[in-house]
Amino acid sequence: MTGVVDAEAVTKRYGEVLGLNGFSATFGAGITGLVGPNGAGKSTLFRLLAGQLKPDVGRLTLLGHPSWGPGEFRRRVGYCPESPALLDWMTGNDFVTTLLRVDGFSRAEAADRSARAIAEVDLTTDGNRRLRVYSKGMRQRVKIAQCIAHDPEVLLLDEPLNGVDPVGRASLSALMKRLGGAGRHIIVSSHVLYEVERLTDQIVMIANGQAIAQGDLHRIRDLIDTHPHVIDLESSDPRALGRALGGWDHVVSIEFPGPGQLRVLTRSPDTFYASLPELVLTEGLSVRAVRSADDNLDAVFRYLAQERR
Amino acid sequence: MSISAPRYVQSTVARVGRPWRILAIVEREVVRRATWGPLFAVALTWLIVVLETVVNVYFATVTGGSIGAAFETPYNSVIWVLFLLIVTATVGAGSLADDIGSRSITLYLSRPLRISDYLTAKASAIGTWLLIAGVAPGCVAAAITAALGYVSASAALAAVAGCFAVGLPTAIFFTGVALALSSLTRRSLYAGVGIFGTVLALGVSVGVVAGITGNNDLLYADIATDVQSIGAAAFGLPSPYPTDPVASTVVLALTGCVLALLAWWRLGRIEVVGE
Repeated sequence: MTGVVDAEAVTKRYGEVLGLNGFSATFGAGITGLVGPNGAGKSTLFRLLAGQLKPDVGRLTLLGHPSWGPGEFRRRVGYCPESPALLDWMTGNDFVTTLLRVDGFSRAEAADRSARAIAEVDLTTDGNRRLRVYSKGMRQRVKIAQCIAHDPEVLLLDEPLNGVDPVGRASLSALMKRLGGAGRHIIVSSHVLYEVERLTDQIVMIANGQAIAQGDLHRIRDLIDTHPHVIDLESSDPRALGRALGGWDHVVSIEFPGPGQLRVLTRSPDTFYASLPELVLTEGLSVRAVRSADDNLDAVFRYLAQERR
Repeated sequence: MSISAPRYVQSTVARVGRPWRILAIVEREVVRRATWGPLFAVALTWLIVVLETVVNVYFATVTGGSIGAAFETPYNSVIWVLFLLIVTATVGAGSLADDIGSRSITLYLSRPLRISDYLTAKASAIGTWLLIAGVAPGCVAAAITAALGYVSASAALAAVAGCFAVGLPTAIFFTGVALALSSLTRRSLYAGVGIFGTVLALGVSVGVVAGITGNNDLLYADIATDVQSIGAAAFGLPSPYPTDPVASTVVLALTGCVLALLAWWRLGRIEVVGE
């Protein structure tokens, strides 16, 4: 394997709890999204890559170097941890400058780079305030500033948009795209699928400490679509609607969970959504609402996790 | 013509050496610990040492007493050790524990920094505070007495050397204690209590046991006896203490180094685990 990150059957335990459980994946060039629900093992993987945890079993390399422990190759890596812990007694400028000096930049060069990085994340006006008074979003942004200030080749961004306001999200997403477009390798984690979708098509899905899918986002979606989807409908006459839908061969089952409600299990959600308007019009049926209970990341993971069992 | 994806190459900027990288942490760490607790303890130490020394030297010159004894007086008292212990506990307890507990240690160690560099920085910061509290006031007092014409410049310089002879091994010892105990916990309060408890309990218990058994070698484990013994020798006085000053110096410095090594060993095995 020759990726930026190569993981071979990496297992990490915290006592009785499994952080990673035989995780294997290769992260290549460009932006890769690491997607998984809370507790899936994303942060464990990042901490392993940052050299803060040691794999119990397996092999994990970053830029061809074993991930555990220090090394000069870390100059080429920027790490934005999920943890909100910062060096709170410092100002934003001092924080970034100090870490740049630890990286080996001279005092003047560090101050110059710090000012540019702080400006990149729109914190210039707050740069001289102490970190302890920063909001969650500002803390996220200053973490990203320290991560990009030394121009690293690889960026490890653990939930970087967590707690950032919508405007901030848009500007940080644009920044990540720009950095990725310039050839940097970016590994960005999130438990919100659409955030990652806006950044990249390259996805590694992680659940229960294992990589459950890897590759192009559309292929993963296709994989999910082979499983029955749950679609909830509301109608003034759910029985009539149910009778009409029962004639479709891709509909697996129909339930009536409550008054005016209908739950349909279908093998082909795309066909269902495409055909439903015509059915409603031709049969004169009433449909007040359509919701897909499976149109979220939890459902995706549920499907993929079931697939692996 | 071919089209290929861009490949990023990090710009090459001259980087400074490890000592400068360590200095970046030392500077911040020294400033970080400048809170009311340590500042108060340092101010009191200065007040006691400077006032006591200047007044004693003045009276020694008036009465024809021993100048060395006058300079040695602050180190002859348990108070000086106690104040250094307070400085150690307030400055050093959180040195590693705070960073490990909050996981901000990740921000340092995910960079090209060895654990030994990080520990050197932390030790230097604690050591700086201890030297400011333990050595500097004696030196300033010597300078004041010389400036006031109570003693000659050479006598003042000898007193400065004496301050370093007592202060350096003591600072090394306390730095090692702070690093070791701070590396054992994620809470600075526990480390602070540990520093206080260990040093005081050791001093009291070996004093009692040495008194009962008559084995004075045990007193090497009592920091106050070591300091008093070194102090007497450093200022050219006959030592009334049962420990050998050279051996006491070695014990203090060596113990500090061994404890710092213990912290290094411990840090190398610490994993920064989430909550």
